Amino acid sequence: MSPADPTKRPSKTAIWDLPTRLFHWLLAALVVVGSVTGYLSPEWWMGVHIWAGYGIVILMVFRLVWGVFGSEYSRVTTFAYSPREVARHLHGVMMMRPPHYIGHNPTGALMIFALFFVVFGITVTGLLVLGGEENQGPLAGVTSYAVGDIAKDLHGYLIGILFVMIVVHVIGVIVESFLGRENLVRAMIDGYKRLPEGIDHPQPRKAHPAAAALTLGAFVLIAGAILGGLNRLPPTGLHNMPVNAVFQRECGDCHQVYHPSLLPATSWKGLMQNLDEHFGEDASLDESTTQQIETYLATYASEVWDTEAANRLRRVSAKTPWQISSAPYWLQKHKEISNDVFARKRIGSKANCVACHRDAGSGRFDDQMINIPKE
Amino acid sequence: MKKFGMLAFAPIVAALVVAPAQADPARDGILSGFATATKAANPAFSGFSAKRGESLFRTKHVGGKPKTPTCTSCHTKSPSSTGQTRAGKPIEPMAVSKTPTRFTDPKKVAKWFRRNCKSVLGRECTSLEKGDFITYMLGQ
Repeated sequence: MSPADPTKRPSKTAIWDLPTRLFHWLLAALVVVGSVTGYLSPEWWMGVHIWAGYGIVILMVFRLVWGVFGSEYSRVTTFAYSPREVARHLHGVMMMRPPHYIGHNPTGALMIFALFFVVFGITVTGLLVLGGEENQGPLAGVTSYAVGDIAKDLHGYLIGILFVMIVVHVIGVIVESFLGRENLVRAMIDGYKRLPEGIDHPQPRKAHPAAAALTLGAFVLIAGAILGGLNRLPPTGLHNMPVNAVFQRECGDCHQVYHPSLLPATSWKGLMQNLDEHFGEDASLDESTTQQIETYLATYASEVWDTEAANRLRRVSAKTPWQISSAPYWLQKHKEISNDVFARKRIGSKANCVACHRDAGSGRFDDQMINIPKE
Repeated sequence: MKKFGMLAFAPIVAALVVAPAQADPARDGILSGFATATKAANPAFSGFSAKRGESLFRTKHVGGKPKTPTCTSCHTKSPSSTGQTRAGKPIEPMAVSKTPTRFTDPKKVAKWFRRNCKSVLGRECTSLEKGDFITYMLGQ
């Protein structure tokens, strides 16, 4: 550090431009929204969770562009430090005398890059879960359930890492604010930093908003074309199942018509061979009708679908293998729903999927399509 | 203009639909089939009784499935009311005056008597019981 120069006084200087500050706090807010909707909210908030994820993707893309065209301290090149500089800074922190940096310090910069990659990983794995398990989003046409299932685990691990990193980040800000005697949190709010005595006023490069906007526009066009193209692909694992009028009529006379993907073929066959003991009623049909419906159900049973419901409900209850509501996955997903809810007038029983799952007829069971009647 | 025309025809159409409801040839055929079968089993048979039909409809039977001891479990105590299956689907009223298509499709009649008699009584119904039941619903 240069020795103190009595002619230079401590002064406030604009360091963080408005877009960078907005990026920081919007990202923080969306991470909070994503965490709350991912861990605490009921399933039908999944739509908000997904939009938080898309919002984060947009912010990340913006920040990359702004890292090239932004003002001085927003540019990535101004905080791309060598490992040697990171080590020197960390050493200084441990000695309680960190060297001063006007913009990001090397340790903070390292955290920024690490956060960037982890958040990027979270959004990518999130899109894979969405496409693979939920058959939604731009990757639905290219992601199998199995890939989505692996991505779901990774999504969770990365979020665990992110939480630890956020804690370290906040501790770092507090430590650096204390050691450097400047309020870094306020700097990220109003954009100003106080320059210590002896530090020259920087000659910062200005932002190029027009160039940034052009680059962003080009990106949106290209990404939009790619996503639009991907969106045209039909989701993997869903079929164009023909409507079977006999099945619809014979089963639908007494109960909602269950989607064939909700039970494996062996269960459907067992159910059709025991119609005279059908959940406490005689529901027998003549031979040919029974055979016709059984063939239809077995053809489109859970084995041939790659949806979340079909994959999960392939494991049936050993005691009642053709009761969907006693499958292990069904029980796990509904364990927080009390019998009072099932007894409500507009629901009636656990057999009435469509009362709450508005898309039950399609076999999709999207989280956003859940709507539990209040009465 | 068009709307008015349709409105004008409505009473005529309604009359055409409702009037023959009580005397449907298909239903008469089904009923006479049950009468023939009953007569064959019991030569003393002298006709179906709406009263016996009502009793069959309202009695709490034993021998059927525990959740459905009586017809009224699903069809409600009033034949002219909409019933509900155990899984929640509505059942059109059994009364022929309310649902004129009742007992006009032999396959449907056979299917539902077979199933529901087994569920409620634990056995098939006799031709006499079926005839009584339809006769009761005809008067409702």
